[in-house]
Amino acid sequence: MGQRNIRNFCIIAHIDHGKSTLADRILEHTGAVSKRDMSEQLLDSMDLERERGITIKLKAVRLAYEAKDGQEYILNLIDTPGHVDFSYEVSRSLAACEGALLVIDASQGIEAQTLANLYLALDHDLEIIPVINKIDLPNADPERVIRELEDNIGIPGEDAVLVSARTGQGIEDILETIVERIPPPQGDPEAPTRAMIFDSHYDQYRGAVAYARVVDGTIKVGEIIQMMSSGRQFEVTDLGVLAPNLVRVGSLGPGDVGCIIASMKDVRDTRVGDTITVASRPATQPLSGYRPAKPMVYCGLYPVVNEEYTALRDALDKLQLNDAALTYEAESSAALGFGYRCGFLGLLHLEIVQERLEREFDLNLITTAPSVVYQVVLTDGSVKEVDNPSALPPVTNIDHIKEPFVKASIMVPDEFVGAVMDVCQDRRGIFVTMEYITPERARLEYELPLAEILMDFFDRLKSRTKGYASLDYEFLGYRESEVVKLDILLNGNPVDALSCIVHQDKALSRGRGLAEKLKEVIPRQQFEVPIQAAIGNKIIARETVRALRKDVLAKCYGGDISRKRKLLEKQKEGKKRMKSLGSVEVPQEAFMAILEVD
Amino acid sequence: MGVYVHIPFCAQKCYYCDFYSVVVSEDFPTLAGNYLVSLRQEALYYRKIWGEQPLDSLFIGGGTPSVIPPEELAGLVSWLLKELPFVAEPEVTMEANPHSLTAAGVEVLSAAGVNRISLGVQAFQNNLLKSIGRIHRAEQIGESVEALRKAGVDNINLDLMFGLPGQRVQDWLNTLESALALEPAHLSCYGLILEENTPMEKWVSEGLMEVPNDDGQAEMYEAACRILKGSGYEHYEISNFALPGKRSSHNLLYWQNKPFIGLGSGATGYIGGNRYRNIPDLWRYMQSWHEGGPLYEDCDQVSVEREMDETMMVGMRLLAGVDEASFCRRYGISFWELYQPAINDLLARGLVEWDGAKLRVTRLGLFLENQVSAAFLR
Repeated sequence: MGQRNIRNFCIIAHIDHGKSTLADRILEHTGAVSKRDMSEQLLDSMDLERERGITIKLKAVRLAYEAKDGQEYILNLIDTPGHVDFSYEVSRSLAACEGALLVIDASQGIEAQTLANLYLALDHDLEIIPVINKIDLPNADPERVIRELEDNIGIPGEDAVLVSARTGQGIEDILETIVERIPPPQGDPEAPTRAMIFDSHYDQYRGAVAYARVVDGTIKVGEIIQMMSSGRQFEVTDLGVLAPNLVRVGSLGPGDVGCIIASMKDVRDTRVGDTITVASRPATQPLSGYRPAKPMVYCGLYPVVNEEYTALRDALDKLQLNDAALTYEAESSAALGFGYRCGFLGLLHLEIVQERLEREFDLNLITTAPSVVYQVVLTDGSVKEVDNPSALPPVTNIDHIKEPFVKASIMVPDEFVGAVMDVCQDRRGIFVTMEYITPERARLEYELPLAEILMDFFDRLKSRTKGYASLDYEFLGYRESEVVKLDILLNGNPVDALSCIVHQDKALSRGRGLAEKLKEVIPRQQFEVPIQAAIGNKIIARETVRALRKDVLAKCYGGDISRKRKLLEKQKEGKKRMKSLGSVEVPQEAFMAILEVD
Repeated sequence: MGVYVHIPFCAQKCYYCDFYSVVVSEDFPTLAGNYLVSLRQEALYYRKIWGEQPLDSLFIGGGTPSVIPPEELAGLVSWLLKELPFVAEPEVTMEANPHSLTAAGVEVLSAAGVNRISLGVQAFQNNLLKSIGRIHRAEQIGESVEALRKAGVDNINLDLMFGLPGQRVQDWLNTLESALALEPAHLSCYGLILEENTPMEKWVSEGLMEVPNDDGQAEMYEAACRILKGSGYEHYEISNFALPGKRSSHNLLYWQNKPFIGLGSGATGYIGGNRYRNIPDLWRYMQSWHEGGPLYEDCDQVSVEREMDETMMVGMRLLAGVDEASFCRRYGISFWELYQPAINDLLARGLVEWDGAKLRVTRLGLFLENQVSAAFLR
């Protein structure tokens, strides 16, 4: 089948607007899966297919569709990740397409993520097909959504397809519109091969599996391919398309979307955004848009017991096989011993990694407060990047410090505009602009320090707007900022792992809040524990955990011996999860307390 | 070594109590009768396993043993004393509620061999008694003690509780004063524990009821230690105080981690290194003895290592401490050899002291006894 009968598209939507259900209906309608085989929400499920030990993620599904014009078409549906942490990955998925379905909930209307994704799609010159979903719901108001589209995005209302992914209504219309409106791929089959990796994953038997879109030329089984960013070469052992079961193919040509298995060791060999070419006749120019994943957020991960240090390293090694964005290097803390400084794309990424380490590898971890990367300009004019408060040079050596800023776009119903402004103001936000999407819905743009977004910004935003606010942000750049290092002392001793870098204006309230929070989470112990917050030598806040007066079971008779033993063992288990700092037992939560303090 | 008999019947469940018991209803006389039969079957079963080790104490606890007619209980007691290898004059304790004792009843029990009564007094304020679900009234406490003495039972323990909902320090001081006025041989002072699945735990967690916090309890406990000592009572275990020579031998065997036979639904026993708990279900318990054998909820063989840990864990509750020589005799190894780092840590923290023969809690260690006990769990 020729290139002109291929359509590559993705679905973009705000969370919960029905992306997965719509994808399922499309798969079902084109016969890619029968209704009976369908597990709910196919595109979301991992490890779906096992065939000769290859795990396949449905990153792209190939659908066969006979259109009303009587011709057969190949529709490649490419999945996109759904979180702002992964916006670069989203952009690569979009770059693999010629068109996008923009799904909007008929009762909710346009949300911040809808817009953010739409702008990304427009950046890639994608043909946009607006899809108004959930029209079967009683509170659906497609007319309003159409008005929003026309007024704010400038998309003609008649272009919108009305569907209910739940009932299947309108699915046929979507498929016809895809065929009619999304242009076929434009690549040159005779040119040197160029294919873009938009996703990858690690398979324990076959190594990294790359998901790629061929732009020019072809890739064949047995050929030597080359990664244009690194120059590394690999022999292609298998090529496949997902229909949605893995179907082996001998080659992939322009416009094709498929997976490539080439005994690549780990996902760092298959960087998202990288261009694959063929070694025997390499392309000279890579496809545009590649950038290596760069961590935005850092934190320390420490085993609660030192013996687990090696296990932590092994676990991080394993995770990195499948997560090119995760970085880590050994560090040590006076308080916590040996651990790793890890870099993440964002907070969600951090939480995912932390949870996997604890669940899948059964590690007991202490996570130190996340930090952004500060650029410290020294008096000699050199610049030092600091992602760990304890690495901050002495104040006398610092000329000034720069911190990362983001552009945040927040959408809320009109009545919450004030609340959003309060929250942003409080977080050192700089107002940029506000526009009304509809008379009832506003979009606010703020410039905010990334560090402030890390501090439960979204939770606060949600709670102040009854859950209505939606948020999207992108990196802006570094700006000079009056930040200082805030230290915490327990029993008079500074605890490096509790230090943080904060804005001068917030140091006092943060110091007080932190001391209060620590007083809450540090259990009473045999001796009184003073908690102090300090900037340099100046103590700015003090709290005291009073000494424990009573820890004893009143009754212990025959029947209570086993019970008492179990209870004490449980207490002991809890103690194991605490870190002994000098004579003070500090629970894990203490090290995250800073996140919960305003 | 001794025997514990569990009588799982109560006129009403107290709000804080998580012992197994059922509230008596119309079929109670038949039920109690059948239950006493099962108890005898169980006693005979353990008689064979137990062998000839002499038994020095019998403890009838509950529940509320005194809800069973005295004649029937007396029958059980004298039968047990005859059938099991008790020593000549064992300590025979029965728990009772102040409202359910009569002089005549006590005489019957006393004649059968009951020589010690533990009264569930808890408090001397009717509002506090009501708030914890007790059905007796403060006035009945003195009357009961009088009835006991009249019947010749002078070895009386009073159970008292502190940390009760709404209890002020002054209430507690008054309770201690009233209790002392009755001149009991023995006093148990228990800080309230909010046990899981009790009404009180639920009410407190839901904010419907407030109880004194740990600091409040500590203050009351401190007062009890001071006042009772000043009145001539020996503080010999965390919650127990006795006039000289009046310590509870039965309870001491628990704190010395000695074997004992436990009889009855929900009872625990420790025989031949086996720690068992009978099924806390009256009907299934009786059914199993009808079929001729025990039905356990739990039954664990305790290793020697674990028994040594537990011996230290419960032994440190005694203010006299654990005697190194006795420990050595029992296990062939010194506790120093087993727990040296833990003991040194406790010594450094001032929670225990060592006099060259015994390891015991300090005054501070008494208040933080969990930290002492836990140190011995390996």
